Amino acid sequence: MKAYLQVRCSKSQLAAIRDFAREQLAQMQVGEPVSHQIVLAIDEACANCMIHQHQCDGYSVLEVSMYRKGDVVYAEIRDSGQGFPIDRYQPEDVHHIVQRRGKGGLGINLIHHIMDEIQVEQGEDYYVYKLGKRITDDPAPRPSTAP
Amino acid sequence: MEIKEQRHETYVTLIPVGDLDANSSVELDERIHAIVESGCSNIHVDGREIRYISSAGLGVFISYLEELALRGGRFVVSGLADNVRDVFQILGLDKLDHLVLTDAAPQDDQLFAAKP
Repeated sequence: MKAYLQVRCSKSQLAAIRDFAREQLAQMQVGEPVSHQIVLAIDEACANCMIHQHQCDGYSVLEVSMYRKGDVVYAEIRDSGQGFPIDRYQPEDVHHIVQRRGKGGLGINLIHHIMDEIQVEQGEDYYVYKLGKRITDDPAPRPSTAP
Repeated sequence: MEIKEQRHETYVTLIPVGDLDANSSVELDERIHAIVESGCSNIHVDGREIRYISSAGLGVFISYLEELALRGGRFVVSGLADNVRDVFQILGLDKLDHLVLTDAAPQDDQLFAAKP
């Protein structure tokens, strides 16, 4: 069963999207730190649509849906914008971003690091960004901490 | 977003409170920009009250690393919650030169005394 949330394309709506995603993941019994990472990936995908597809116009609408199929949690973001091929995007090296003093370029990088499946489906007048994360019984290993 | 500020002899501490996302990170960027423009080369972000960070927040931090490094300064982020620190680690930002992630806030000017 899918749960839906519809929001206007305003960055002020990102907190509501995160709350929705956290609630759904809790109902799906997805624990930390994986839950937080999925919330982050959804936040990044939605922010990307709002900023780059709709210039945060406050009128366009995003629809976020979440469901679990077997051991994979899916989030789908339906957007009426022009679409962005996040599934084929080659993340920029972080050191290059630092050198050029950039602030952008990290969001899709995060999505690719976190999610196991990234698909972009094109409809007649919309795109659906489908993000999947495989959930295991064991907590995901925490990244190693730098000495 | 509320951002507290403390001035020290050799560095400035900023204490953001709440979620650091695409909506709120603009305010932090403006505060850091003003500090860097004023000539300060050492910045400390006390992250104990950051509940969430997205790429927009990370982007603010890393965009100043080169400038501070050129001046012989440092960017220190302390006290991050596990879920926030994880986001740095996912992208390997915890291994960047000139960005210091530490558990405890600097007790004195020691963290900024030596050049990186």
